[in-house]
Amino acid sequence: MKFIGLILKSARRSKRRTLLTVISVAIAVFLFAALRAVLDGFNAGAEGSSSTRIVTQRSTSLIFSMPTSHAEQIRNTPGVQDLTWASWFGGIYKDPRNFFAQFAIEPESYLRIYPEILLTPDERKAFLDDRTGCIVGDGLAKVYGFKIGDKITLKVGIPTYGRQDFDFNVRGIYRSGGGSVDNQSMWFHWKYADERSVVKGQAGWYVMQIANPDHAAQVSAAIDQKFANSPYETKTETERAFQSSFVSMFGNLNLLLGSIGIAVVITTLFVAGNTMAMSVRERTTEIAVMRTLGFPSSTIFLLIAGEGLMMAILGGVVGAGLARAIVNPEFLNAGTFIPAVGVNGANMITGLGLSVLIGLLAGLIPATMASRLKIVDALRRAA
Amino acid sequence: MALIDLRDVTKSYRRDQIEIPVLDGVTITVDGGDFLGLMGPSGSGKSTLLNLLAGIDRPTRGSIRIGEVEISRLSERALAGWRARHIGFIFQLYNLIPVLTAFENVELPLLLTSLSKKQRRDHVMTALGIVDLGDREKHYPRQLSGGQEQRVAIARAIVTDPTLLLADEPTGDLDAKSAGEVLTLLQRLNQEFKKTIVMVTHDPHAAERAARLLHLEKGTLVEQVKVGA
Repeated sequence: MKFIGLILKSARRSKRRTLLTVISVAIAVFLFAALRAVLDGFNAGAEGSSSTRIVTQRSTSLIFSMPTSHAEQIRNTPGVQDLTWASWFGGIYKDPRNFFAQFAIEPESYLRIYPEILLTPDERKAFLDDRTGCIVGDGLAKVYGFKIGDKITLKVGIPTYGRQDFDFNVRGIYRSGGGSVDNQSMWFHWKYADERSVVKGQAGWYVMQIANPDHAAQVSAAIDQKFANSPYETKTETERAFQSSFVSMFGNLNLLLGSIGIAVVITTLFVAGNTMAMSVRERTTEIAVMRTLGFPSSTIFLLIAGEGLMMAILGGVVGAGLARAIVNPEFLNAGTFIPAVGVNGANMITGLGLSVLIGLLAGLIPATMASRLKIVDALRRAA
Repeated sequence: MALIDLRDVTKSYRRDQIEIPVLDGVTITVDGGDFLGLMGPSGSGKSTLLNLLAGIDRPTRGSIRIGEVEISRLSERALAGWRARHIGFIFQLYNLIPVLTAFENVELPLLLTSLSKKQRRDHVMTALGIVDLGDREKHYPRQLSGGQEQRVAIARAIVTDPTLLLADEPTGDLDAKSAGEVLTLLQRLNQEFKKTIVMVTHDPHAAERAARLLHLEKGTLVEQVKVGA
C-alpha cells in the first residue's frame, strides 16, 4: 500500500502522456466491448434458439422461396408435430434508412410454435382477427413511437409484392420471451402479402416443431429427401444453424469484428508498451538511485508494472463505462433487426480483463528493463 | 576491528573486448567513526572504489568486508537489503526524485522498512531537522536551491541511520557558500553523530575537512596523507 503513492506520483510525472495512454486504452476497451455487444446481438438468436424447432429453406439460398404446398408433405413427415411458415418482406417505412425486419407469417401457427412472442390475450385476438393487422416488438415500438391502433404504411421493397403500399394496423406490442425472438421486428399476416404477390403461394421458410430434439437430424434428412431432385430442393437444419446462416448472410462477422477488435487491442498494446518504455528510459537515473537506496529489483519491477497496470485499468474502466453508456438500444435510438445491441456486464468484464492484460503486457518489458538496470552504468550515463 | 576492510581489490571493465583496469590491488582499512577523503585525478578509480564500498558494483578480485559482512559474496537481492540498512549515499548531482517533495524524497528509503507511517514521519522530520530544512518538507526539488537540494539528499542518506555514509563529490555542483555548508554538515555528522564517512572529492578545500586522506592514481593508492599532520 505504501508504494501506491509512489506509483501515482510517477504516473503524474507527465500528465499529458499518462492521459493519452489512458485514452488509448479506453478507446480500445470501448471498441472491444462495443464489437462484442454487436456480435452478441447477432448471435443472440442462435444462442437462444429452441432445440425442438427445425427450419426448412431452399437449398440454394434463403432469398429464394418455396411453394406453400410443401407444407402438407412436411407436416406428414414422422417426428414433425407442428408447422408454420414465414417470408421476409423487406418493406420501407418512410425512408430506406428506417430499416427494421418485417415478416409475413402464418399467424395462428406461428404464435403457437413461438410462445416466446409474448402478447396479451386481447392483443393476440385483435391481431388474429385483423387481416391487415400487425404486431411490433416493444423495442421497435420505442424507437418509432408505435402504439396500438396506429397505422403503419410500408412501401414495397421487393418487387414480388407488387407496387402498391401496404397499410397495417398495429394490434399488439409484443415482448420477447427468449433469445430466438428479438423485440425489434414487425410480424403480419402472410395472406395479406400473398394476395398482392406476383407469384402466389410462396413461403420463405418453414419452421417445424419436432417431438424429440435427438431426432432432429433424421427428421431434417427425411424432409429434404422428399424434395430431392425437384425444382425446389430444400435444406433443413436446426433453428440454431438456421439463425447462424441468417447471420452469415452478412459475411463472417465473428472473424471480421473479432479481427478488428484484436487489431485495436494489439495496436494499443504497442502504444502503451512504447509509452511505458519511454517513461522508464527517462527515469533511468531515478531508478538507479532507488536501487542504490536499497530498492530490490523485484520492487522496481512491481512499481513500473504497477504503473502500467494502473493506467490500463483506469483506461479500461473509462472505456467499459462509456461503452455501457453509449452502446445501448435506448441511446443509439436506431432501428435495427439485431436484437437489443447493448454492452452488458459480461462485455464490460471482458473489456476490463482486456485492459488488465494490456497493462500487464505493456508493462512487462519496461519493468524488466528497469529491474535489470545496471546501477553503475545508469549513474555514469547521468553524470 | 576496522569497519571497512578492503583487501587487494582489483576492478576492471570490458569495453569492446578490451580489458580496462580501474583499480589495481587496493588495500584500505577504515575505522568506525572515521572521516576519509579520497582524492585523485579523473579516471583514478575514486568513484569506482566508492561504488564498490556501496555494493552497487562488484570487484573483479579481492575482498570487501564492511562490519561483519563480506559484501562481494552477497547475492543481488541480499546486497540491496544490505545497502538499505547500512549505506547512505550522497551523489554529486543530488539525484532527488523531481515528482516527490523533500519529505517524500527523504522518506523513500524508509518505505523499505517495516516502520509505521507515524514512525516514518518522525524519522524524516528528525533527518530534515538535522540538515536544517524542517520547514521545507513540502517543497519540491525545483523549489529548492542547489545547496538545499544537497542537504535534502544528505537527510535521505542519514534517515535510516546507516553504518556508512558515502559521498561522491558532494560539493562538486555547488557554489562556495553552499559547499561550505554541506561540508560543515558532513563534519557535524562525523563528529557529533559519530558517522563513518568516505568522501570522494576533487576539491582540496573539501578534502581539508576529512580526518584522513587517501590519494589514488591510475587505480593504485599512491599516498596516504594525515590531515593536520
